[in-house]
Amino acid sequence: ADSAKRSTADKAVVDARRRMLSEWFAWRDRVTEDLRDERLSLGLEERTEEQKALDVDEEEGSKVVE
Amino acid sequence: MRPILLSGHERALTQVKFSKEGDLIFSVSKDHIPSAWYSANGERFGAYKGHQGALWTVDVDPTTTLLATGGADNTMRLWEVKTGRELKKWEFPTSIRRCEFSEDGRQLLGVTEKRTGQLSNVVVYDINPDPDAEQTDEESLRIVVEELPRVTVAGFSSLGRYIITGHDNGSVAQWDAKTGELLNEVYSHEDGMSVTDLQWSADRTYFITASKDKTAKLHDTQTLEVLKTYVADTPLNSAAICPSPTEYVILGGGQAAMDVTTTSARQGKFEARFYHKIFEEEIGRVRGHFGPLNYVAVSPDGKCYCSGGEDGYVRVHHFDPPYFDFKYEVEKEKQRELGF
Repeated sequence: ADSAKRSTADKAVVDARRRMLSEWFAWRDRVTEDLRDERLSLGLEERTEEQKALDVDEEEGSKVVE
Repeated sequence: MRPILLSGHERALTQVKFSKEGDLIFSVSKDHIPSAWYSANGERFGAYKGHQGALWTVDVDPTTTLLATGGADNTMRLWEVKTGRELKKWEFPTSIRRCEFSEDGRQLLGVTEKRTGQLSNVVVYDINPDPDAEQTDEESLRIVVEELPRVTVAGFSSLGRYIITGHDNGSVAQWDAKTGELLNEVYSHEDGMSVTDLQWSADRTYFITASKDKTAKLHDTQTLEVLKTYVADTPLNSAAICPSPTEYVILGGGQAAMDVTTTSARQGKFEARFYHKIFEEEIGRVRGHFGPLNYVAVSPDGKCYCSGGEDGYVRVHHFDPPYFDFKYEVEKEKQRELGF
C-alpha cells in the first residue's frame, strides 16, 4: 500500500511538472511571436542588438563582420 | 566546474556584467576602479580610472563600445571600453545606485540615491554610440519618484517601452519610458524587504527580482504578474536568468556574520544557488566565496557565470557538459515530442 501511495504521489509531481512545462512554453511562444510582430511593424529587425552580439562565425570562432 | 578567480579588486564587489558577446567581464567594487577581464582565462583587459568613491553599478552597451559606471562620488560616467578613455561625466546631488543601457544601447538610465531633501530619481540620457561623438548633458526623461519608496534597481524593458523599478519596500513598478507616467505597481516581495536586483531575460520580456525576503521572483514585463517564485534560506542580493535552452536561474546572497543576530543561526551560506526556472526547484549549489555574494551574472552565450563577493573576489565558473545535459524526465519527454 505504501508503494502504491508513493507512486500516486510521484505521478502527481510528474503531472504537475508536465503542466508547468507546457504552460511555460505556450506563454513563451505567444510572447515571442507578439514581440517579433511588434518589432517588424516598427521597422526593426527581428532580433535586438543584444541578441545579434552573439552571432559568431562557427569556423573562425570570431565575430561575423557584416 | 573549473573556477577562475579574478583578484584585483581591493574591496567588496558590487556589480559584475558580461559583455553581450560573453567574452569580457566588467566589475565594480567599493574601491574606485572599474575593471574589465577576459572571461575565458581571467586575465585583466583594462581598468577605468577617474572615479573618486565607492562604485555601485556598471553596464556595457550591446556592441561593447561604451561602458557606464556610477557610484558614491555622485557621478555617472561613460567610458570607451577599448581604450579606457573617459567620454562623459554626469554629476548629481547624490550617489548613483544603478545604471543600465536600453537593449539598443541608445539610452542610458541612472538611479539617484534618496537622501534628506533629495528624492530618488530615474534619469535617462540619449546616447550616441560613436565614442568620438559628444554626449548630451540634457536628460531626455526624469522620473521623480515621490509616491513610492526609494528606488533600488531599474532597467529598460523590451523595445525600450517601459522602465521597470524595484523599491526598498519590496514593490516593483512599471513606467512609460517616453512620458515617465506610472503605469502599474505590484507588491511582489514581503513588505519592507528591499528589492536588491533586477535582471532581464535575453529578449527583456520577463525579468527576475531578488529580495532581502529570501526569495527571487520571475515577472512578466507587460503585466508585472509574478510567474515563478524561488525560495531560498538566506537574504538575496542578486538573481540571474540563464539563456535558453538552459532553463535555470542563479541566486546569490548570504548573511554576513556580523548581521547574524542569533548564535544558533548558521553563519555564512555563501553559495550560488541554481534553481530550475520552470519547476522552481533548487537543483544545486556552488561554494567558494568567503562572504555574501553581492552579484551574480550569466554570460549571454550561456557558457559560464560569475559572482562578485563581499570578500573582494570575482569567481568565474565555466559550465561542464553535465550541466547542459541534465534534464527532468518531463523535459526529455517534451524534446522527444518535438523530435529532437
